[in-house]
Amino acid sequence: MRGALQTKAHFFLLIVSLLGGCMHVMIQKTYADSLGVLRAALPDRIEGWTAEPEDRFFDDETIFDYIDGAGEVYRAYNMRTCLSRRYIAPKGPPITMDIFDMGSSEDAFGVFTHDQDGEALDVGQGALYRSGWLSFWKDRFFVSIYVEEETAAAKKAVRNLGKVVALLIAAQGPKPRILSHLPSEGRKPQSVRYLHHHMVLNYHFYLSNENILNLGPNTDAALADYQRGKEFARLLVVMYPSEGKAKEALASLLLHYLPEADSTGVVALENGTWAAATAKGKLLAIVLEADSCQLAKGLLKGATKAPAQHD
Amino acid sequence: MAEKKKVITRRDFIRASSCVAMGSLVGLPLLENPSVTKPTKSRVVLVRDRGVLDSQAQCRPRTLQNMVDRAVTTLLDAPDPTSAWKELIRPTDIVGIKSNVWHYLPTPKALEAAIRESLVDVGVNEENMAADDRGVRRNAVFKRCTALINVRPMRTHHWSGLGTLIKNYVMFVPRPWKYHGNACENLGAIWQLPHVKGKTRLNILVMLTPLFHGIGPHHFSRRYTWRYCGLIVGTDPVAVDATGARIIQAKRDAFFGTGRPISPPPLHIAAADTRFGLGNSHPDRIELVMLGWEKDVLI
Repeated sequence: MRGALQTKAHFFLLIVSLLGGCMHVMIQKTYADSLGVLRAALPDRIEGWTAEPEDRFFDDETIFDYIDGAGEVYRAYNMRTCLSRRYIAPKGPPITMDIFDMGSSEDAFGVFTHDQDGEALDVGQGALYRSGWLSFWKDRFFVSIYVEEETAAAKKAVRNLGKVVALLIAAQGPKPRILSHLPSEGRKPQSVRYLHHHMVLNYHFYLSNENILNLGPNTDAALADYQRGKEFARLLVVMYPSEGKAKEALASLLLHYLPEADSTGVVALENGTWAAATAKGKLLAIVLEADSCQLAKGLLKGATKAPAQHD
Repeated sequence: MAEKKKVITRRDFIRASSCVAMGSLVGLPLLENPSVTKPTKSRVVLVRDRGVLDSQAQCRPRTLQNMVDRAVTTLLDAPDPTSAWKELIRPTDIVGIKSNVWHYLPTPKALEAAIRESLVDVGVNEENMAADDRGVRRNAVFKRCTALINVRPMRTHHWSGLGTLIKNYVMFVPRPWKYHGNACENLGAIWQLPHVKGKTRLNILVMLTPLFHGIGPHHFSRRYTWRYCGLIVGTDPVAVDATGARIIQAKRDAFFGTGRPISPPPLHIAAADTRFGLGNSHPDRIELVMLGWEKDVLI
């Protein structure tokens, strides 16, 4: 009887393992197919530039062979695959196009928000252009088109290539739901960032050498700057998998960063600004800095009330 | 009982200097004491020559060699360049020149050649010298080297704030990404590894066309480089990096206006001082000697 049970258990484990393996292969294949389909449709020529014969592919390990330093950013947003193609012209600088399959539209949006400088363009679901670099996101893809030396012809080619590629991506994807917890009043344009990783948070706002908010792949966080009247503030909202995790993160923040906080969670910082934090359900809202106590409290209230529609 | 991990927050930095920008952390204490002794004051030589680059921004080798010669001679108060190099390197040394091959802004080949020539003048056998970057862990000369010359361009870096001389040794470890935490703060630990420790005789930070701001996945645009036409030279890598960091920050301030600190803050420079005891990062403990072209020196 015992032997029969063990055999059944082994059989069950084997089936689960095989199913798991199949799922993994299917997921990998879906990613590859998706980027593969897009690749097949990519233009061979744009303006006076011609694609080099070989495209290159990188995954979340090999990306470091291709991108020094910033590879960590794409890993922090769960990148699956990167396709890199170069376009060359006899008398122009080479154009490098990198298409990242981020696995979800939320992470494609997130990696797009990592660098918010530049002129907004109507390409894909959001695009920016600055100094020879066009970046945009659409559905699960983040696309970077870059020319080392900006000339008028190269700038035109970069922009047109972006438009062509964006049209080749048929679907549109949703933005992260956590954005609905960022109050719209006074939110500065191009200041919203979506992230999971504390290293990315530290890049935008250095908080601590340790991950005191317990950020990770299962937490969604959004950061935004505010200007209300003459007052400035920066708000971070984080959605945890459970209410308990949100409370733990709040306790950690209060222990390490805001030990003087009273029941309202508001603290005057040493540089004359104010910080405040509160948890409600699975949500943790932190005003990292605000020019006044009133602004800090107002932002916390706005972040924790019922989610608003995000543009 | 395990020791409780020390948490350092933004507020610690604010307390350390209430008006300091987060990008100006060089020289700030990281609340720790160095584990080894270091010189009380470090001499750093900044040499500039506007003629070192041609109209295509290519190096003029002879001018570059002359800049190196002036810098090492001044650095060591020597009567001539060969005497200076003899204070750094013995003829019997096996010398690894740790360069940097990042293709947008590599260590100039002309500079590697100038260093090689100086080593030959000292009497080092050419078979006992090599220049390498990503292959240093497999390079036969580097494997048995007794001395290292560390030479690379300074640039902003996406994950560590700055690409520095301290960071240039990341290729001496098999898994560089293990040092990416907290803006690569612990890069100084690499300098304590047995195959690296105590071998560095000279550090040359290339400031010919430094990158003061990066964009995009590849973190590079020619728009954010400028003809500074300088080299910063010293035996203390921390002091040299800290000096370079001040120039990069000054250039950012001049270009963007205030409020654009180096991001992320190059914590590894201060940590190399206060945590790993590799040298001095605070300007008060750096003796800066400036030679040559003075216009827009930014420091």
